[in-house]
Amino acid sequence: MEIHGILKGKFGFDQFRTGQEAVIRDVIAGKDTLAILPTGSGKSLCYQLPAYVLEGTVLIISPLVALMEDQVAIMKKNGEKRVVALNSFLSYSDKNRILGELDRYKFIFISPEMLLQQNVALRLRSINLSLFVVDEAHCISQWGFDFRPDYLRIGELFEGLARPGILALTATADDKVKNDICRYLRLQAPAVHQQSLDRPAISYSIIKVDNGMMKTEWITNRISSTPGPGIIYVASRKRADELSSLLQEEGISVASYHAGKEQEDRAFIQEQFITGEIGWICATNAFGMGIHKNNIRQVIHEHIPHAISSYIQEVGRAGRDGEQSQATMLYSDDDEGRTRFIVQDDIPQEDEIRNYESLLAANIPPDEAADLARISETGRRIIDYYTERMSMEDVISRMKELLREKEMQLQKILRLIRSETCIREEILGFFGEESVEKPKYCCSACGTAEVHWHIGQQPITFDKRMMDWEERLNGLLG
Amino acid sequence: MNLSSILVTIISRIDGERKIYAGFHLLRGKRSGQTLQDVEYYGLKEFFGILPKLSIERFDEAVKQLVDAGFISTMDDSFVRLTEKGRDIVTEIPSFRFNGWDYRGGETIFFGRLSLMVQTVSHFKAGEKSFMPVQKDRDIQYFVKSLLHNRPIGDPAFAGEIGKELRLCITRSGINDKQKIIITHRLSGFGLTGWTWDQLGDNLKLNPFDVRLLFIEALHMLLAVITKSSDLPLLRKIAESVKVSTYLTDSSVKTKQLFNQGLSLEDIVAARNLKTSTIEDHFVEMSINDSDFPLTDFVSDGDIEAVIEKVKEMGTRRLRLLKSEFEALSYFQLRLILGARTGVVN
Repeated sequence: MEIHGILKGKFGFDQFRTGQEAVIRDVIAGKDTLAILPTGSGKSLCYQLPAYVLEGTVLIISPLVALMEDQVAIMKKNGEKRVVALNSFLSYSDKNRILGELDRYKFIFISPEMLLQQNVALRLRSINLSLFVVDEAHCISQWGFDFRPDYLRIGELFEGLARPGILALTATADDKVKNDICRYLRLQAPAVHQQSLDRPAISYSIIKVDNGMMKTEWITNRISSTPGPGIIYVASRKRADELSSLLQEEGISVASYHAGKEQEDRAFIQEQFITGEIGWICATNAFGMGIHKNNIRQVIHEHIPHAISSYIQEVGRAGRDGEQSQATMLYSDDDEGRTRFIVQDDIPQEDEIRNYESLLAANIPPDEAADLARISETGRRIIDYYTERMSMEDVISRMKELLREKEMQLQKILRLIRSETCIREEILGFFGEESVEKPKYCCSACGTAEVHWHIGQQPITFDKRMMDWEERLNGLLG
Repeated sequence: MNLSSILVTIISRIDGERKIYAGFHLLRGKRSGQTLQDVEYYGLKEFFGILPKLSIERFDEAVKQLVDAGFISTMDDSFVRLTEKGRDIVTEIPSFRFNGWDYRGGETIFFGRLSLMVQTVSHFKAGEKSFMPVQKDRDIQYFVKSLLHNRPIGDPAFAGEIGKELRLCITRSGINDKQKIIITHRLSGFGLTGWTWDQLGDNLKLNPFDVRLLFIEALHMLLAVITKSSDLPLLRKIAESVKVSTYLTDSSVKTKQLFNQGLSLEDIVAARNLKTSTIEDHFVEMSINDSDFPLTDFVSDGDIEAVIEKVKEMGTRRLRLLKSEFEALSYFQLRLILGARTGVVN
């Protein structure tokens, strides 16, 4: 069937959004394709539509279980029943049942760890796969902020296989990450589609303040006088809780979110934010992936982000509805050292690696050894991956290289902060985009950010009301 | 209610005979011989395992509060004792209605199921078939899915039934007003998202940790009602198998498994490479806790009846006295009889 017909018949759209059609044509032609499309631009259509043209099953590798479940739920909701998620949440019997009937599915979502299991890989080879999709493909790059060592092995899996085309999808990738994706996934003569990352609806401000107290003051004033909903990104869990309480005392409708909260509380906060029961979230970088909320008006950073790519990802959660939104970064002089410490703390140091290896050699179980050597969960996965492939000395020099790279990333964001040229131009230049059309409300460097687009709009105050228990039960169940 | 008041109550019962961390192990539900024996001996079953994730820092903080307030003191041998002031305060603390011994964390599974069922029905009733479940636990999701299978989940009458059962159960349970608010606000539904511990704490002017304690106690009280009531069929289903099925220690469970496979006591001693006396302790534990313990495998019906007669006649359970009456029976056999028939051995 002609692709416009499928677009209308299956998805109910009259036309493609910018960039989609070219990607879809390459995918259908069986080419390896790398598509860099901004969040909210309809990435999933790039594999969902070809699935109805190509014969067989589409395999989608996705890094986050929650995200995967989310996508499956949305597809089911839209009427596609032949979709399944294979991840570590499945019970043993369900996993076996699904593996036994893989060919019944049109779409199989899978986590990288699951894909690397022998029996799963074997079963997948026995069915007719029409397309491999690697979602959030930037996770493959150790230079990225989201590095997942498991992703590196995906390429190995594809090797030597008569395989269908690969579609690698991501929202942000600089040249280095692009190269990593092509190299590690072993893409053959890939067609690269990149859409501008520019988000004209977002204006950028970078504001220097004297100290932490001034940040709190600035944020309090800002939120009490301008509209949300919004996200405030902070550097630590402790700060998220602290700032959130301070703002609450001011009557602002806000909650804190970080990985240290109980799962149920995290689900509540996310949902309250999406439904508009609360207006603001004070969060660490744990918040954001898989949040579908179009009307976020402001994203405020009260610390220096680790890299421009993670900054752009977080900022990009604002203004998905195309309405005017604002990104603000607050910093003070001592932030640089603090951010550097956090960034470096993530990467295993030489003595830690040596210590870890000697503990392993002494037959200490890996979990315990990592703990004793004070190596983080991510750090351990990275070391484990590399030690399988190279000598310890090489691993150490690799880690040093990684550390240098992280420092370079930090330098870039520091440059952005200190620069007096247009913030939008700087950011897009970082991703290799040269010509930029400046919107009316551009950035603080251009002097066009602090326009009062928010005048006349109301700030969000706390209106969550506690009910009598019977009233609440009636509301829930009638 | 707060951790300190629970702790001072516990200390009033182990007064001068245990160290302070006995309280910590008790609250976290440590399944060691010592803790279990204490639970029984000092009558602390209600508090067993009510805070499985209690951190040592929080515990120490509560201890410090009690010391600073002059309610407890630690003796030279590090045993903890109630002060005069402490004794007074304990009499003023209203009694708790926890049932940690029977649930040991199972109450949160119950609530997880309830919460997902309410969320599902609430959305379906409103014609919304897609929502993000607040419960991510697979077992809970499967349980609710199979429970709701073939039921009219979109029918407002069905939602009404659940609401009616909940209302009945809450009213009968005797939980206080704050607990009623906490329970109902931890539930999510269409247009009404659940409240976090912090939000509940802010609104009720309570510490979020204490909100959680009230929540746990309330669940134990609701579960007590549910087990007794025949007119709460849906809640009974949800409460299915959340009560502990075995009160045995982990080690006794292993012994029991081997015994059930047909191994004799001697075989088990050899197989587990443990002392005979240890395995005998396990058997005594089994005799106390398992109503179907095969006592006659170890001692004849005649002897059992004779011993029980004697216990009644002498008004004692002291083993040494009984042993002199029944020269032919071993201490082990006597303990088994007492365990199986009276539930108490001393």
